[in-house]
Amino acid sequence: MVTGGTKYDAIVIGAGHNGLVAAARLARTHGRVLVLEAGDRLGGAAATSEIVPDYRAPAIAHLLEGFPRRIERELKLARYGLRYAARDVPTVALDRDGDHIALPRNRREYAAFSKRLPKDAEAYRERVALLRAQAELVAPLLGQVPPRRDDPDALKRFLRRAVLRAEWQGRSALGKLMHTLPESIGDRLDAEFESPLLKGVLAFDATLGGGEGPYAPGTSFRAVWREAIRMQGQGVRQPVGGMGALADALAAAVEAQHGEIRLGARAVRILVENDAVAGVELSDGAVLHAPLVVSALNPRVTMLGLLGAARLETEAALELRFAAPAGSTAKINLALESTPVFSGLAPELHGARLVIAPSLHELDEAAAECRDGGFASEPVMEILVPSLADASLAPEGHHILSIIVHNVPFHVEGGWEAKRETFVQKVVRTVDAYAPGTADAMIAGEILTPPDIERKYGLAGGDWHQGDLRLDRLFGFRPSPAFGRYEAPVPGLYLCGAGSHPGGGVTGLPGWLAVEAIGAAKGGER
Amino acid sequence: MTPDTAPQKEEPVEPNRKDIDPQDEQAAVDPALFEEKPIAPPFERTVLTTPLHLVTSLESRTNRWTDWNGYTVPEVLTGLGDEYRALRGAAALMDVSPLVKYRIAGRDAFAFLQRLVTRDIENLGVHRAVHVILCESRGLVLGDGLLFRLADDDYRLVTEETHLAWLMDSSEGFRVRIEDVSATLGTLSLQGPLSAFVLMQAGVGDVASLAPFAARWVTIAGMPVYLSRTGASGDLRYELWSDAEDAPHVWRWLVECGGPLGLRAAGFALRELARLEAGLPRAGQDYLSAFAAIDAREALPPAAIWASPAIDLDKGLFNGRAALRRGSDEPPARRVVSLAIEGLEPLRFSTLSLEGRVVGAATSTGFSPALGANIALAVIDAEAAAAGALLAAAERRDGLSVRETLASVRVLAKPARAHPRRLAVPAPLRP
Repeated sequence: MVTGGTKYDAIVIGAGHNGLVAAARLARTHGRVLVLEAGDRLGGAAATSEIVPDYRAPAIAHLLEGFPRRIERELKLARYGLRYAARDVPTVALDRDGDHIALPRNRREYAAFSKRLPKDAEAYRERVALLRAQAELVAPLLGQVPPRRDDPDALKRFLRRAVLRAEWQGRSALGKLMHTLPESIGDRLDAEFESPLLKGVLAFDATLGGGEGPYAPGTSFRAVWREAIRMQGQGVRQPVGGMGALADALAAAVEAQHGEIRLGARAVRILVENDAVAGVELSDGAVLHAPLVVSALNPRVTMLGLLGAARLETEAALELRFAAPAGSTAKINLALESTPVFSGLAPELHGARLVIAPSLHELDEAAAECRDGGFASEPVMEILVPSLADASLAPEGHHILSIIVHNVPFHVEGGWEAKRETFVQKVVRTVDAYAPGTADAMIAGEILTPPDIERKYGLAGGDWHQGDLRLDRLFGFRPSPAFGRYEAPVPGLYLCGAGSHPGGGVTGLPGWLAVEAIGAAKGGER
Repeated sequence: MTPDTAPQKEEPVEPNRKDIDPQDEQAAVDPALFEEKPIAPPFERTVLTTPLHLVTSLESRTNRWTDWNGYTVPEVLTGLGDEYRALRGAAALMDVSPLVKYRIAGRDAFAFLQRLVTRDIENLGVHRAVHVILCESRGLVLGDGLLFRLADDDYRLVTEETHLAWLMDSSEGFRVRIEDVSATLGTLSLQGPLSAFVLMQAGVGDVASLAPFAARWVTIAGMPVYLSRTGASGDLRYELWSDAEDAPHVWRWLVECGGPLGLRAAGFALRELARLEAGLPRAGQDYLSAFAAIDAREALPPAAIWASPAIDLDKGLFNGRAALRRGSDEPPARRVVSLAIEGLEPLRFSTLSLEGRVVGAATSTGFSPALGANIALAVIDAEAAAAGALLAAAERRDGLSVRETLASVRVLAKPARAHPRRLAVPAPLRP
């Protein structure tokens, strides 16, 4: 039945980076591809937004940590304008008294590091080695489609590389990983290190994006996970022109393959005919036909909202019903009329990831406050000054401060309308304590609370990961067992967002692997 | 509250005093109005009775009661043999109110039920009923029941076990109202060759024209009753659904009109025997709901429980479709079958073996006078069912002594009782 509307070979819903990666890869093999974006710009959470004219800041995410080289090469993103302003961006733990710790990336930096922390240096080296070893077991699993649930051989094949590597690493490698799985990062760090600041920054990285504190079980594995995600990519990088440049390059790759991208087109319904996907209905009533629909939206929104629980079996719908995501991260972008100076920080490190997480205690408190609908008196956060490496973002001499605040609740006690100003002031006051003069140099700012992120970027619950990166929601259990291989029980419908394996972060992998799963399903039919 | 912490007794206030100004906030009020009265929660009552409890206890000559779905119902009212003779020779009246009844109504009721049950209910007309099977995502049976269509968007699902949680979980995305109406309905089962005649005597006009699995609103003794030609029996049978308050009067009137024709009131034991003779498995007894089966092998697909289960793989999405499609070509490993052991005395048995190996167990047993044999429903390995030569470890009791013997078992190809009268149109008024 074709009653008007246009026909495509595939429709991708959502022009976030995962949606665009999926579209660009689909366009090469699956004919006419259409990307639908409800908002008025590309990139989703990986976009560049203008605070005020001439001051451009990364909308939400500000660094590429695990964007794989193979995606970049196969989609020829360099040809479409993807350049890097900074490669291998270091991480610095900011100290209240100016005695900062730069996490070492090489031997030379390690020497400085061990001078700063003579007692912890050796332990840090061991920890990094163990983390790398464990991440190497997990990393191969992130780059491939999870195995079928009903096929034990597929699971064996899936795990084979990890097991072989573990055998090669030695007998204790798997045992240590098993020990790491349920452990909390706080307990692990307390056992290994002395410096509260070092513990703070390591635990910050392990818990960022989740709602749990450093002493929550399973957080130790998240550090391994994050390391494994980083291994997919080519080091921490900052694209020229902000994260939006990545989205633009991906869009150019889509259009080069004659794909079409429509902004301001909100999908409201996924149409099903004869038990298979038939197309998408837009909010203006237009009907677009396609035998293949790939959604980069939250799995819950896609399946229960666009498709409808009635089109799924009861248990599949139930699995998603209780996986309501709730973000715990806020974003603040500040425009400064001068160069921010962090007291005691070497000039070359001002472009680094600057983490304010003074100790485990602060993190734990912030998480507890967040759970109760409040925010800590001294918020924990990650700061980047992207305009140092990329002058195109702000007028000369002026700068951008891109701040990711951790442990910010979606529902704040008293409502965000009442608390927004207090919150910004707390963050600015904290930043000002480390970089005196910031508050005075501020000429404009933009704040995105978790509800703002949901409203503006369509991320349900304001959750970047579209569902917590918990042990029970990874691999084939992400977002839930029935949808673990990107495909929905309705033929022709696939998921390709951060809600699917391997999860959040600007990696492009969910989108990339979804297309792989689509290809595998097609091959299986023949 | 100990006596010394109890508040001082205040002077009693006379109610309805004319001089009290209703606008005066300081005016003395009757404290009794604000006393907390304890409300007994319903689950505090552990003995649940059906709306027919009083009338059935008046009929009871044995004081033998049993528990069915949590309700106290008579096991035997006069004597099982007596009741059985009435069932086969005239008519038997039973209280089946403990059956679980859901009302499913709303704009999407049809779509909701199509997704819920395995059979296609597209052609289910108003005032008709069908047997339906509920499956979960692995294609294993959760339960079965009878689905009535009361009006266009109004259905009644009658099941043996409760399924409310599953129904509510399944209702997401449908505009449908689900209500457990078990307690608001009294249900009578009238079975036997004279049951149509009894209804006619009770004043129901044109009983004979009511087709099997059809239903109709009738008036019995001045009370509205939903009469359906359904029931767990291999003979002519009817079920009468009425308001809980009306049910005892319907019961009395039927006993009064049917008594001279040989109608007897009967208990749960007879219902079980009639069901067993008709070869109808009961949820929770002969098979377990897939959610209740702890051992995965005890959860069964529909094809294992019914010889030709109503499944329509082409009707559209329903729970279990994908799994049933995958498994549609392979026969089930275990099956529910009807068995018989020859002999004229009741036996106790449960374990079934083939060449010394245990292959299954009897789940419901009873002595069938119709067949003159012990019959049972049993879950056994499918290949053992085909092999024959099964043996059952039977117990023979003689006074206080018990003898254990091995009795040879025959798998019944058709149920012990399946009288053509059951489906005859028009329904015979005379046997």
